[in-house]
Amino acid sequence: MAAVKPSESAQPTRTPTPTPPRTPTRTRTRWDRITKGKLLVTPLVLLALLLALYLWITNVPLDSIEKNSLNGGQVRLYLWQQIELTAISTFFVLVIALPLGILLSRGFARPAAPVAIALANLGQATPAIGLLALLTFWLGIGQRTALIGMVAYAVLPVLSNTMAGLRAIDPTLLDAARGIGMSPVGVLSRVELPLAVPLILAGVRTALILNVGTGTLAAFAGGGGLGNLITAGITTQRTRVLIVGAVLTVCLALLVDWLASLAELRLSPRGLEVSR
Amino acid sequence: MNFWDYVSSRQDQLVSDTFQHASAVFQCMVVAVVLGVGIGALTYRSDRAGRIATLATGTVLTIPSYALLGLLIPVLGLGVPPTVTALVLYALLPIVRNSVVGLRGVDPALVDAARGIGMTGAARLLRVELPIAWPTILTGIRVSTQMSMGILAIAAYASGPGLGNEIFSGIAGLGSANALNEVVAGTVGIVLLAFVFDAALVLLGRLTVSAGIRA
Repeated sequence: MAAVKPSESAQPTRTPTPTPPRTPTRTRTRWDRITKGKLLVTPLVLLALLLALYLWITNVPLDSIEKNSLNGGQVRLYLWQQIELTAISTFFVLVIALPLGILLSRGFARPAAPVAIALANLGQATPAIGLLALLTFWLGIGQRTALIGMVAYAVLPVLSNTMAGLRAIDPTLLDAARGIGMSPVGVLSRVELPLAVPLILAGVRTALILNVGTGTLAAFAGGGGLGNLITAGITTQRTRVLIVGAVLTVCLALLVDWLASLAELRLSPRGLEVSR
Repeated sequence: MNFWDYVSSRQDQLVSDTFQHASAVFQCMVVAVVLGVGIGALTYRSDRAGRIATLATGTVLTIPSYALLGLLIPVLGLGVPPTVTALVLYALLPIVRNSVVGLRGVDPALVDAARGIGMTGAARLLRVELPIAWPTILTGIRVSTQMSMGILAIAAYASGPGLGNEIFSGIAGLGSANALNEVVAGTVGIVLLAFVFDAALVLLGRLTVSAGIRA
């Protein structure tokens, strides 16, 4: 039950506590309202923040070290590397974790499921920075190493989420589907997967947020990204470099989360809103 | 030097790092539990306050810990202050959220019954609602503890205490004789600590979850 990565706990509940039947619907609408308010506010706040950062940093006298770290091309490169790292690693996380999660929740793979969950628990206890450092010794410095570390770190929580979600589908629905003569493939593609869409979207969001976070540590594996600015700010004791790096990272993380919540709101099947 | 030679030759350093790691996580968790359950208990009754609490905590949760440390350093300097602040902030989130969810999940009939036998609001909270919500809150505490272990490792780069220093010293000395040993010792040490803490929390759950609601 403790198999929860940081951003997974962003979901309203992850506990086995029985809730009275009316509560889920009420919670659901409350959550919808939060998301809609957030959808309008987030981009405006981020825009204001970035504008303030830009005006501040262009009007403040910088010494040579700061100018060196903060010249436009450099910052753009780090930002682009960060986006690239996040996008590529999220793609691989989903390509690996979702099919594997579906496979492991089939009847024949049941014995393997506890192994996957134990692995997920172990992965959760491993610090991301330690994992990246170990991979650097093994695979050398570079973007590839950082990507492999990020994917390895995010695959397990998305995988265990997928399995938990598919297991949570009401067995009477599957029984009914089988009862009207659906084949196993039919049950999977026409009942289980549509019911699991919100869960898959939540997995996408989890993967994205974990990867933006681990992406800042890619700098330590020579993978580039905005972590370079934060690191440079700390080691050269240049607060302004540090602030630019940190604020850009925060804005990117919130923007990615905003896009993911937009996708969740748009793509969730309407028919599930009442029943969930 | 092989790993075991390394461990025995640096025993003092490793023991002190491990102790500091454990003690920092433990102290931050105590603060976070008190604050988190407090915030949960204050906000769960109000729709609006609960929404603000969960929205605020959810937003902080999406911020990468390395970036939050970067924002804290200009204000608080290097070392223990930004480390403790970041650790408590992140640890708060799952605890607040699970407290609100847990307290709201308490069957209204039970609260009504408590009111019916003449319990005051505070007594209802302390003797009925919190004990029933406790398993949920404990799940949040377990999540927070695991998170704190990893975030503290990163905080070592901002001169924080603990086993993260082994990892970063290994990264800095990439290629030198003991670099790999240092990284392995730091990482494995954190994994082991995380398991010990989680086991302790499971045990705490066994001892403290009210017998009447044990599954």
